Amino acid sequence: MTASPQPAPSPPDAATTRRRGRSIAADLGMAGESRAGKLIYYVPAAFMTVFFLIPSLMTVIWSFYERTMFWMKPGFTLFSYINFFSSARFENFLMSMVHSSISVVICFCIGFPIAVFVRKHVPPAAGHRVLLLFILPFMISEVIRIFMLRPVLGRNGLVNTVLMDAGLVTEPITWFLFTPVGVIIGDILSFLPFIIFAGFLAMEAVPKYVFEVCQDLGASRWRQFRDVIVPLAAPGIFAGAVFIFINGIGNAFVPNILGGPGAVNAGLIATQAIIALDFPLAMAISAIMVVTLMGLLYLGHRVFNLSRLLAPLS
Amino acid sequence: MSDDYANPWSYRLMWAYLFGVVLILMTPTFYNYYISLNEYGFGAANYEFTTGWYAAVFSDSLLVNAFGWTLMLGLVNLVVTVPLGLLAAKQFKRRPSQAWLVALMLLPLFVPGDIFASALLVFFKTLNGGFQELAALTGLTFMKGWFKLGVTTAVIGLVVYTVPYIFIVILITLGRFHPEQTEAARACGAAAWRAFWDVEFPQVKAGVFASCAFVMILTFNEYTRTAILKGGFDTFTTVLVSQMLNTGMSEQSYAMGGIVSSIAIAVIGTVLVVTMLRAGQTERRRRGEEALALPA
Repeated sequence: MTASPQPAPSPPDAATTRRRGRSIAADLGMAGESRAGKLIYYVPAAFMTVFFLIPSLMTVIWSFYERTMFWMKPGFTLFSYINFFSSARFENFLMSMVHSSISVVICFCIGFPIAVFVRKHVPPAAGHRVLLLFILPFMISEVIRIFMLRPVLGRNGLVNTVLMDAGLVTEPITWFLFTPVGVIIGDILSFLPFIIFAGFLAMEAVPKYVFEVCQDLGASRWRQFRDVIVPLAAPGIFAGAVFIFINGIGNAFVPNILGGPGAVNAGLIATQAIIALDFPLAMAISAIMVVTLMGLLYLGHRVFNLSRLLAPLS
Repeated sequence: MSDDYANPWSYRLMWAYLFGVVLILMTPTFYNYYISLNEYGFGAANYEFTTGWYAAVFSDSLLVNAFGWTLMLGLVNLVVTVPLGLLAAKQFKRRPSQAWLVALMLLPLFVPGDIFASALLVFFKTLNGGFQELAALTGLTFMKGWFKLGVTTAVIGLVVYTVPYIFIVILITLGRFHPEQTEAARACGAAAWRAFWDVEFPQVKAGVFASCAFVMILTFNEYTRTAILKGGFDTFTTVLVSQMLNTGMSEQSYAMGGIVSSIAIAVIGTVLVVTMLRAGQTERRRRGEEALALPA
């Protein structure tokens, strides 16, 4: 038997194309919408492009402008970058990166086990409510939270009183405040919930039977954590870590209140530059931050495939 | 199957750890209450309980005016941000392939407030200069002050800051919604607005109301962006910070902090209780339906 040649499929006519278009539109829930009705969905993206993306990208251009007495003028100079990298500001920037990295590691150690526990051992609906508890501190002014750490961590503060009453120390500890330790504590209390949320979000994409299989195979809790949970939740851990890291470098409020005169980060340097009316320098610091951020996110996306984080949302 | 929390004590220990972390995160807030209820205020050697500072809050005109401005900013922010977040979440729900939209909506979370506020300040000053020149050229003077630092610029800064939070909250709420329901309503002849209001909104209203609460609370908490972009008026947090850094906070400020904290706790507590009650109700209904469906 010889196979008869299959006729080549004819291209769809215009009516078929329209029908298919309508069918796809119906699937997407868009049939019957006017052009204006469809365009309105792009308003948020347009708003964020104009008031977030463009200013963020413009900082790179402004950072090459020349400084004037009260403002800046167009031109091309590397002065702001040279000024930044050749001064103590760069050392402070590097030190704030080290402090932020320490904050990230501590936040991971404290927060990620909570995300794992809630995902593994709390029913999903209740789990979301438990996580709401970690939103509570965010709902209270950061100004109050950070400032209140002064009396809590101070020489005669709550922590020292408890430590001394418990007999753990004989004299009040003075390095909790106005040192890099104070900044790290402030960062942890400000940003810890983010690693819990991002970690939990990533863990939600992991089916529960994965944990059961691990237990059935007799893997220890540490082995499960190291070889299964952390690799699977890597995008969430990375997203949370980037958030803590970037804010640790950029949030001027924490070093301003808890760090003392020696603790400076990029956010504080940028704010000081604005106060000194050195706008190109502030923009150069912003540009360095934005480039660092984009680089980190790109790297994270390539290594950890951050789009996996969106899976539970879509 | 072996259970890694077979020992009930390790399970309880983990819960204790979880609540311990929440408690530590809340310590500064509790300490604020403690100070605001002391007759002698912050740093005093003696402690005498009083609620007098709460009563005195409204006699501090600086604080009350700043509170009023912040309330106004919060309301304007709410009117702008919640529809924006809803539209963006709906757009992503319609076309989940648009990862760029999620990136655009969430990126502000990753840019520190000081850095972004500095960029926005320069952007607004540049825009303002451009519009002033344009007004001078065309004679259309109404556009002269569009981007002069003030309420508009502060609101824009706040919208960029709060939209990511609202987007996430509404997106999670929309996760349970099926677009086919809207399509069915449209097929039955409902206009777009009617389909939204009668079919979609009842299902996402919990997320929308939670978003409204978030917007107000985040506006009251925000310092950096409003401080840099607000122009000539004071907001609640700018007053607190200037007091802290210069003269030290007044007892009324601690009391006001206590009031704001209480409102925030009440809002989140209400959300928690309502969602728990609703979840319990839904679960009972589901069990009932399952029991009815079982053959006798």
